[in-house]
Amino acid sequence: MSTLTVEHVARIEGHGTITVDVEGGEVRDIRMDVIEPARFFESMVVGRRFDEIPLITSRICGICSPNHALTAIKALEDALGVEVSERTVLLRKLLVYGSYLQNHATHLYLFAAPDYVGLPSVFPLAKTAPEVVERALRIKKLGNDLTTLVGGRPIHPVTAVVGGFTAEPAPAQLEAFRAALLGIADDAVATAELFASFEEFDFAGAGEMLALFAEDDYAIYDGEISALDGEWRRPVGEYRSVLEERVVAHSNAKHSTVDGRTFMVGALPRINLSAARLGERARGAMRSAGLSPGSRNTFFNNVAQAVELIDAAERCAGYVERLLGTGGDSTPVPFAVRAGSGAGATEAPRGTLYHGYTVDDDGFVTAGDVVTPTAQNLGNLEADMRAFAPTVADLPREEFLLAIERLVRAYDPCLSCAVH
Amino acid sequence: MAPRVVVIGLASDFGCQVQMTNIEDHLLDVLGLIDLTYWQLASSGHLPAEYDVAIVEGAVTTEAHVEALRRVRETAGAVIAVGACAITGGIPAIASAGELADRYGCVYGEGGAEVACGRIAPMPVTAVIDVDYRVPGCPLDTDEFLRVLSRALQGLSGRIPEEPLCAACKTRENICFHDRGELCLGLVTRTGCGAKCVSLGRACTGCRGIAADANLDAAYALLASRGIPAEEFTRRLSLYNTLEEGCDR
Repeated sequence: MSTLTVEHVARIEGHGTITVDVEGGEVRDIRMDVIEPARFFESMVVGRRFDEIPLITSRICGICSPNHALTAIKALEDALGVEVSERTVLLRKLLVYGSYLQNHATHLYLFAAPDYVGLPSVFPLAKTAPEVVERALRIKKLGNDLTTLVGGRPIHPVTAVVGGFTAEPAPAQLEAFRAALLGIADDAVATAELFASFEEFDFAGAGEMLALFAEDDYAIYDGEISALDGEWRRPVGEYRSVLEERVVAHSNAKHSTVDGRTFMVGALPRINLSAARLGERARGAMRSAGLSPGSRNTFFNNVAQAVELIDAAERCAGYVERLLGTGGDSTPVPFAVRAGSGAGATEAPRGTLYHGYTVDDDGFVTAGDVVTPTAQNLGNLEADMRAFAPTVADLPREEFLLAIERLVRAYDPCLSCAVH
Repeated sequence: MAPRVVVIGLASDFGCQVQMTNIEDHLLDVLGLIDLTYWQLASSGHLPAEYDVAIVEGAVTTEAHVEALRRVRETAGAVIAVGACAITGGIPAIASAGELADRYGCVYGEGGAEVACGRIAPMPVTAVIDVDYRVPGCPLDTDEFLRVLSRALQGLSGRIPEEPLCAACKTRENICFHDRGELCLGLVTRTGCGAKCVSLGRACTGCRGIAADANLDAAYALLASRGIPAEEFTRRLSLYNTLEEGCDR
């Protein structure tokens, strides 16, 4: 038996190694070894005061830091019994979408696209196809600018606290941003067209798909846990009993199952569950790209992210309009510190993110729990790898490994998040 | 020949590397000045045998990190430590207190130690090797990063400010948190961030590290006179600086 490995898979966040055991020309086993060392965040929050928790957990991930900060804030507000204003919710949604624009642009152009054009990185394209790189940077920059507008800087938002925001953008800044958002929608459409033009493997994963779902919104900030095949919905507060986590030997990140099956979270499950709630232009791009709700092709997670970019640009322009047109206040609401337990969830760019905390009478955390999108995806990723590998086993070794890497990158994994 | 630059990530959130990609307006210009021979986050390939400048992000949390850093120090002409994790241990260093085994248990349950093998108590890059340049903060400030990188490429000395934040904060005309009876770490934290957080209504949390010129005795005395106990100050200071001198009173 021989073993093939891709050590330190490139163009993903964090450190992971693909290991393939081959015997007699056939793939016997295939694993995603997550070698990223644990930083023990769940232990680090214990003993810290509640107001420090969003600062600490946002450092789980430099890409989806707004989600880690906001999910912690939501869980703590649940524990402390804090109700925030509608205006605060709008601003928080903008923060989440800032990380979508930034994450999806980075993942699609910097991480995924080089595979489809046979390059080690996107940088050579700066010379040969500068308009593509400039488009990528425009979308990514707009995401950073949006996060900065609301949160104070591109990553690790400063202004978001339990109860509201410590500062708000000026109306003139919001007005200018509305135009910028509408302007980027064309770039987002071009992105969807680019990814629709790439030849994709014909592959169907067998896992369940989960995402937050809301009747009246494309759920990224609020909603219930929803299962595509299971056709059930459960409140976020029950996430601990919905998801089953287990420790596996070859990964510093735990693996998850739901109803005894592996499952996928991310853009593709979100679109599969909420396509009808996408904006019109995003739905049009989805149809043009050949992406139909219910798709099982994991590789379509890429084009699904591109469709979300279009939706994000138009939706955020609407949110900005509402912020400008309606009054209200995002100043942190007053609340009394008390003992309690709470849970929160948001849709991070890579899928549903859960945080849960217990605080004591003085607001100090006594227990914390974080379940990240990539940790939920890892079991499903391996199931996909096992199903996909035999279909490309005839390719020359380099191409075979590249195909597996493409599958890994389609999940947009963040191993720093997964292990945390 | 353009200087050969590598980017290496240890235990971190990759946030400083993300910030490095966040210089969209200058990214392509910078890439034109250097030969970026290794950047795992952005490109396939292996760490080459030779290079001129190593940019290192993250805290040291495994023996493998220690060995890797020693090789980096032998190979690189200049080492730039970026971010709080690499310079003070940052947030990951919170896990330096107590026994690691208890943390394995807390996160993985029984038998967890067998899973997350190879972990050692967290420490900054600067505790393992000498570094030539530092870009403090959590995350790094992109303008400061470009200035330091530019000095490194030109072989100029590395300098970061060593006075506390208060003077810069005053020039921003911020209302002092201490005048409102709230604790702000700006009085001992290294300046250079433009008092961003205070200007946005939040007290400084000390992410740029304790300034060499900070008068910690006076800070503790001042806070005591205002009824803020030393433990409270130490706890707050320990968020990013738990391993630093002055965080232990």
